[in-house]
Amino acid sequence: MKLTEEQIRRYSRHIILPEVGGRGQRRILEASVVLGGLGAAGSVAAMYLAAAGVGRITLWDPAPVTEADLAAAVAYTVDKVGQNRAAAAAEVLRAINPDVTVQVAASEAEAGAGIEPGGVVLLSAGEWRPLHDRAIREGARVVACGVHGAEGAFTVLQPGGPCLACLPPAVLQEAGLWPEEPENPPLAPVAGVVGLGAATEVIKLILGVGVPLAGRLLRYEGWSASFRDQSLAVSGGCPVCGA
Amino acid sequence: MRRLFSPAEQQRLAGASVLVVGAGGLGSPVAYQLAAAGVGRIGLSDMDRVDVSNLQRQVLHFTPDIGRPKVESAAAKLRALNPTVTVETHPVAITSENALDLIARYDVVVGCVDNFATRYLLNDACVMTGRPHVHGAVFRWDGQVTVFDPRNGGPCYRCLHPTPPPPGAVPSCAEAGVIGVLPGMMGSLMAMEVLKLLLDRGEGLGGRLLICSTLTMDFAEVQIRRNPECPVCGDHPTITELIDYEAFCGGAGQ
Repeated sequence: MKLTEEQIRRYSRHIILPEVGGRGQRRILEASVVLGGLGAAGSVAAMYLAAAGVGRITLWDPAPVTEADLAAAVAYTVDKVGQNRAAAAAEVLRAINPDVTVQVAASEAEAGAGIEPGGVVLLSAGEWRPLHDRAIREGARVVACGVHGAEGAFTVLQPGGPCLACLPPAVLQEAGLWPEEPENPPLAPVAGVVGLGAATEVIKLILGVGVPLAGRLLRYEGWSASFRDQSLAVSGGCPVCGA
Repeated sequence: MRRLFSPAEQQRLAGASVLVVGAGGLGSPVAYQLAAAGVGRIGLSDMDRVDVSNLQRQVLHFTPDIGRPKVESAAAKLRALNPTVTVETHPVAITSENALDLIARYDVVVGCVDNFATRYLLNDACVMTGRPHVHGAVFRWDGQVTVFDPRNGGPCYRCLHPTPPPPGAVPSCAEAGVIGVLPGMMGSLMAMEVLKLLLDRGEGLGGRLLICSTLTMDFAEVQIRRNPECPVCGDHPTITELIDYEAFCGGAGQ
């Protein structure tokens, strides 16, 4: 695949980076990312992954856009209230970047079918454990993020561990990674920080550059502007990641 | 259901105003998130039109917006997200002639700019008008955010960088590149600081420079102190009106 003149202009700020270049941008354009969960953090991550030129994006979220979502989820607009989140986000992603093939999965199984070995899945707080387990078993990497109120967290999970299955549920819950808490909605900028931190990890994994945030849960608290690193130890004998 | 803000805080945001200088990489997340949070009046200042090379990171602008003034494209997105927000567009360059008047109409200023001349101009104008100023910058895979609040005795941008770098010493975004997700993340950190300033809540980044390296996803904090010798916010200021910032930065504006 050769970059077109228009693509060279569109992605010029990437192509000029030594860690990306024309080859890296082609890698981004050939990449496929599955997103499970399109609340505030997941949907803003989707916007930036589309802008960056991720070639195939599969969106999965059975929930409709609500008026309450609009207090933090900047991918949606008032006229989308009541529509399915994935369908609403898909329209925005296509308007941002027509290079991107956006698929709206009709079921979790359909979203799972989009997972490729070595591919990347981005999950934001929700009941996405089957997607996660399938991704890790098939050799894909998972970037997970979650927000409750002014607190959020993100991390990278990969085959060989640690993964969501071998981490204590209390840790995941306390960090806001699981489950989704509609009674404690996200603050818009906090969803931006962790959703786009997670999107940055997705881009790093696609390019194979930098150090992935694996084995580290990075936590951000908005009112104090503080970041905290929590190391994630594998417990051993995990049936999903094998750690 | 727990509320993000108390009713009094939500009312306070609705009555607040923020000037976002630059509707590009940093301005996109800042403006979107302030609109989502319900900040009542958002001013957008940018003289550029949308270019295809912006779209890799400036998510306020979509592909059909190419060629449109950035402030118009941005205002349309913000109104569609939250019609209760008043969006004011300023499709002009911010200069020594108009900066004080413009800034005086807003409670908080957010510097989302990519050149040194405008950074020094915003800094000096914010000190002179007593406006808190949220600063952010991005370079390749790295970014930084801080708050300059003259109401709390500084520091200001000049305390951190007393003089601009020599012309050409620091490559521009076009010359150095930037990973597209980075301004999104840094701008989100900036938007959080704006909310804290407007609500007078939490511990802001005043006097704290937050530095982020996304290749390793490491964050560090550097303390910044007010320089008593600072020509703008020091004990005996020597710069008491706006100067020619293009000349001050050696014509290294863009």
